[in-house]
Amino acid sequence: MKIELHTVEKYYNRGAHNQVHALRGIDLLIDASETVCIHGPSGSGKSTLLAILGGIIGPTCGSAVIGGKKMARLPDRFLTLYRRQHIGFIFQRFRLIPELSVLENVTLPLLPLGIRPADRKKRGRELLQRLEIDHRRDFPADEISGGELQRAAVARALINDPSVIIADEPTAHLDTRLSEDFLTIMTGLKRLGKTIIIASHDPLVSASPVVDRCLYLRDGLLCAAS
Amino acid sequence: MAGSYLDRQLNIADYALSGFIRRLGRNSVVVFIFALVIFMVASFSLTTTSLKHSASRLLTTVPDITVQQMSAGRQAALSVTVIEKLDGIFGIRSMEPRVWGYYFDENNGANYTVIGHANFSDKARIAGLGIDFLPALKLDADADPAVLGRGVRENLELGERRTFSLFRPDLSVQSFITVGTFSAETSMVTDDLIIMDLDSARELFGLGPDDITDLLVDVANPLEIDTIADKIGERLAGVRVVTSERIKKTYRVAFGWRSGFGLACLFGAVAAFFIFAWDKASGLTPAQQQEVAILKALGWHTEDVITLRFWESLIISALAFCFGYLGAWMHLLFFDGILFRPLLLGWSVLKPPLSLVPVFSFADLLLIFSLSVLPYLAATVIPAWQSATIRPDSVI
Repeated sequence: MKIELHTVEKYYNRGAHNQVHALRGIDLLIDASETVCIHGPSGSGKSTLLAILGGIIGPTCGSAVIGGKKMARLPDRFLTLYRRQHIGFIFQRFRLIPELSVLENVTLPLLPLGIRPADRKKRGRELLQRLEIDHRRDFPADEISGGELQRAAVARALINDPSVIIADEPTAHLDTRLSEDFLTIMTGLKRLGKTIIIASHDPLVSASPVVDRCLYLRDGLLCAAS
Repeated sequence: MAGSYLDRQLNIADYALSGFIRRLGRNSVVVFIFALVIFMVASFSLTTTSLKHSASRLLTTVPDITVQQMSAGRQAALSVTVIEKLDGIFGIRSMEPRVWGYYFDENNGANYTVIGHANFSDKARIAGLGIDFLPALKLDADADPAVLGRGVRENLELGERRTFSLFRPDLSVQSFITVGTFSAETSMVTDDLIIMDLDSARELFGLGPDDITDLLVDVANPLEIDTIADKIGERLAGVRVVTSERIKKTYRVAFGWRSGFGLACLFGAVAAFFIFAWDKASGLTPAQQQEVAILKALGWHTEDVITLRFWESLIISALAFCFGYLGAWMHLLFFDGILFRPLLLGWSVLKPPLSLVPVFSFADLLLIFSLSVLPYLAATVIPAWQSATIRPDSVI
């Protein structure tokens, strides 16, 4: 899925004393099946950019055209549908619901689609088997290791078979071995033709061969690309 | 890929149920308090319905018109000859003399209501009062047959015995044999009751052979009861003429205002609970807020989150309703509605204990459901709409 941003600006609390100018005129084109790493220091606007690319928030000014649709013009309901159908999120700290089992967490996006329990379970287990954590499927999310949490988060992001994977600091809380495991998984997804956008300030990610292009964000400005 | 609307609802309901179980400790407190409120309202309602049912069942046997002689503002004996004076009134189907009085049992310190019927042997007629007849027994020639209330049997400590004795005013002993016992359903007014033959009652109270306390008049056309009552009043001097409708009205008013007063008091508790529910639903914990944000980021619509909250509220309120209503039913069945009985019957009632039997009324069930579950859903789903609008970007 092709993603285009044209002079995108994003303000928080615009006009108030605590106004934040998070993004300043971002122009960006991401081709379908491309893997892009956005890196930069904390507070540079990486998460805001991901939120716009993922249809979670809209830009204050400028336009975001994703899959030929202008996101700024779409009401919340359609943004939700867009996320549901096209986007797989891997959140910072993974954001699994601690009391739910791994399998329940993974299949959460399928509930409002009306997929029956047996089908949900089957799809969830297939993904967990691919990611080699099926043996942990009935464990509560707060009782599994960091690496298993990461794989569970990836499984949840893939359950809807999205065309775009967005990962926010996916290796921030992982050791080197687990970070390499994550990049191996991303390599597999890239082979499946997924568009992958990773926000990270981990050099291991930006230097990985799975990444086609690196973008550097500083103070809300896209400063350089490599 | 998307399933049916029903599958979607079932999935979200399933998730709501798992959420209820996950937060069992916190939810149990809400269910307990809500069940307690429903228990109080339902107990009150069931007790009232049971009393009304008992009363209405008994009132079917109340005569159309009761005539009593008054003297100096108090009831006095009436001569049975008044029947001849009323004989010519068109519309009267039948007239029946009765003796109605109270017998004080000194041994037990209890008052029994004694009624003497002219046609006591007519089982079919008095069966309307709910009598469990005992197997026929060769009657003792000196013992008069009688039907007893359950409380009288217990007070007299009859056990399996059928015969008992009471004292006449001259302290001579009159023997009776029990031929039946009133059923528990009618205990409200039959618990202290002894029914016997008219002559036996006259003898027990030392009345003259022509004396009665009431004359019961049966009217052919119910629409003419008031007219005939007026005519009776005109023909007999110094009598009190009471119609069945007046007796029923007395019962309705007595239970009606007590029930209304009690429910008005309970509404305070109900309202307080709904304010508590509203407050609880408005204040989500940080973990719950994050859960909503995660769900929305994963593609849940705002309406899906509201549906989730609706199912959560429905589970809580349905459970509380079941526990509360069942508790109320058991309160009435096993504990005779002990919490609210004094309020409904009056604190100064000196009758032997009565046994209340719960009466299922779909209208009452619907009323309690409407007054509890529906307001709870409203009190929680409206704040849930606010919580469902949490923006998903808080998880990024």
